[in-house]
Amino acid sequence: MRDWNGEPPGDRLALLTTLPPGRGQLRLAGLVLLVLLAALLAAVPFARVPLPGTETLLQGYAVAVLTNEIITSVLLFGIYAVQRSPAVLALAVGYVFAALCIIPWLLTFPGVLAPNGLLGSKLQSTAWIAALRRLGFPAFVLAFALLGDRPPHGPRGSAKPVILTSLVATGAGVALFTWLVVAQESALPALMTASGPNALWLVVPAGAVLLCAIALVFLWRSRRTVLRLWLMVVVSAWMIETLLLGFISAGRLSLGWWAGRLYGLTAASLVLVVLLSEMTRLYAVLMRSVSAERHAREARLTTMEALAASVAHEVNQPLASMVTNANAGLRWLERASPDLGEARTALKRIVREGHRAGAVVEGIRSMFRRTGQDCGPVDVNDVLHDALDHATGELPPGRISVHLDLEDRIGPVVGNPVQLRQAVSNLITNAIDAMQTMEGRPRLLRVKSALRGGNEVLVSVEDSGPGLDPEYGQRVFEPFFTTKPDGMGMGLMIARSIVEGHGGTLWIGQSGPEGTIFCFTLPVAGGEAQPARRRT
Amino acid sequence: MTSPDQSTVFIIDDDLSIRESLQSLFQSVGQAAQTFETTREFLAAKRPDAPGCLVLDVRLPGGSGLEFQRELVSSGILMPVVFITGHGDIPMSVGAMKAGAIEFLTKPFRDQDLLDAVHKGIERDRERRREASSLQELRDRFRSLTPREREIMVLVAAGQLNKQVAAALQLSEITVKVHRGQVMRKMKARTLPDLVRFADRLEAEGLGRLADAEAAL
Repeated sequence: MRDWNGEPPGDRLALLTTLPPGRGQLRLAGLVLLVLLAALLAAVPFARVPLPGTETLLQGYAVAVLTNEIITSVLLFGIYAVQRSPAVLALAVGYVFAALCIIPWLLTFPGVLAPNGLLGSKLQSTAWIAALRRLGFPAFVLAFALLGDRPPHGPRGSAKPVILTSLVATGAGVALFTWLVVAQESALPALMTASGPNALWLVVPAGAVLLCAIALVFLWRSRRTVLRLWLMVVVSAWMIETLLLGFISAGRLSLGWWAGRLYGLTAASLVLVVLLSEMTRLYAVLMRSVSAERHAREARLTTMEALAASVAHEVNQPLASMVTNANAGLRWLERASPDLGEARTALKRIVREGHRAGAVVEGIRSMFRRTGQDCGPVDVNDVLHDALDHATGELPPGRISVHLDLEDRIGPVVGNPVQLRQAVSNLITNAIDAMQTMEGRPRLLRVKSALRGGNEVLVSVEDSGPGLDPEYGQRVFEPFFTTKPDGMGMGLMIARSIVEGHGGTLWIGQSGPEGTIFCFTLPVAGGEAQPARRRT
Repeated sequence: MTSPDQSTVFIIDDDLSIRESLQSLFQSVGQAAQTFETTREFLAAKRPDAPGCLVLDVRLPGGSGLEFQRELVSSGILMPVVFITGHGDIPMSVGAMKAGAIEFLTKPFRDQDLLDAVHKGIERDRERRREASSLQELRDRFRSLTPREREIMVLVAAGQLNKQVAAALQLSEITVKVHRGQVMRKMKARTLPDLVRFADRLEAEGLGRLADAEAAL
């Protein structure tokens, strides 16, 4: 039997963290990167233009970044819960960290919520928080790039405690740092002067760019996945943001600074967008494969039912004949003057029908046997002769003229002769049935065998019937599909599955008003030396 | 079971071995049987003019046995049918029985069941043929009446007295009596109720209203 499912389900989950990026993904990522770079070049000439009074926009910006990063981290934690990859955990924590840092940053930003910021912040507070975030996020991405995707060995507990612990630790860390930079501001080295950042401040963007570069290198060198690919774009955006903020712009609220902020928003949103779109796509793929699997199962079931019905009928006929013959025999013997001749005839018929039932059962068994010991070298021409005798044996003489056109030089094929005969006789029976109701034309059945390409035997069964309706197409091979009033619709399906089981192909060679040709090929046993027939 | 009147069982089954075995079974009990592979063969064959019964496989090449049963009825072959089937289901057997089948047997069946069913079928056919032939005889008798006698038969069968008949036809009562005697003799009716019964049957069996019978004949 054919494998209906296509691929067996793999043990590797198709998650974004393990899925290799497709060609389209690579192209899109490259395009996004190009756009980011082009935007940077376009922004450089105007980077130092001041935009006073734009503090109010900062709230919206901060909320957008915060929301995107929180959602991204939730999705990543979700993936971690399934996959338990330490790398994904590090990245999820990185996003939570970046999101949490936004809160004190916004609160302490002078001129946004209060002239000097909330929380009683001082001049250095916002800058220190910004520095922490700027350096922290690339560090987490680097951790992601360095850590493996494989979950650690050992017992797999619940993911919940791990996730909770990381959340609490991150939250506590950011809170502690905020308290430090607000309450102990005077104890920290100054990053800002009243007129703008001082020289020490420049260490922060330089460090961040360095971290980003290292992360990029490691991301580049590790196994490509969809997530890693897009993280490379994110890190690039983060790098450009840092360059704009630290070196190109004229400090806070200049055009360059705002351009940097936009890169920050892009960096915060990219992974989210990719995660969402890829998850939707994967979900659709999953649904498709689930429904394909269900259809395949249903098809298998109906095939089995049809097969069972067909088997029941095939066995029942000889059985009924045997019972009736036995009864008739008894009655011949029970007559006042027993008729031994008639009784003997009845008994002989019982023997014949018993063998017929046995052959049916054997045929069915062999159909389900994949590689039975009954496989061996088979002469295709013998099979054709047998099947033809069997199928035409009951026909009245002269009803159909049979033309046999067999190639003698065909080597044996390896296969099960009972199965192959079944396949051929299904085709021949169909051909005969197709000509059953035909009038005014010779009923011609032509069975041919030929060599094809030196390593294949081509068999064709041709009738002069009215042809198949073209709209049926390949449906004739489906179970239950029949054009005969009393057909089961199993014959062609069985024939095809047998031929394919022997490494061959079965197809409709031609069908028109002049008749129909069914063809199949079988591979000829290789080499000149014919394999010795096994004796058991 | 003997068939003194050449009663025949007609077997239609596409399976040669089933046909052979059934024929042997019927012959073993002295019942003549003919076999056919297809319904077409059966229809084309010359059938003896004797009681018969059809043994029909539900699955037949070129149409189901149930369809063929309907076809038979519509083409005026009123032979009883016994169905045999390899895969009988209840709706199918109900349909067959409703359409007038004698029996619906699932293969393999008990031989006695089949023989009984066929016997019943032949008896029913014999009865039907007897009915049909007696009706034919009645018709022939009725045809032998003169138009005047027919008129008188109609009125007498309708319950009118000689006097009333005479008045209606403007004949003398004596003449009516003589005609009436002729009618009774020709129709082979011993009593008046016999004649009334004959008239009823003729009226029921396609001659329309007996009063208009003259026009019909």
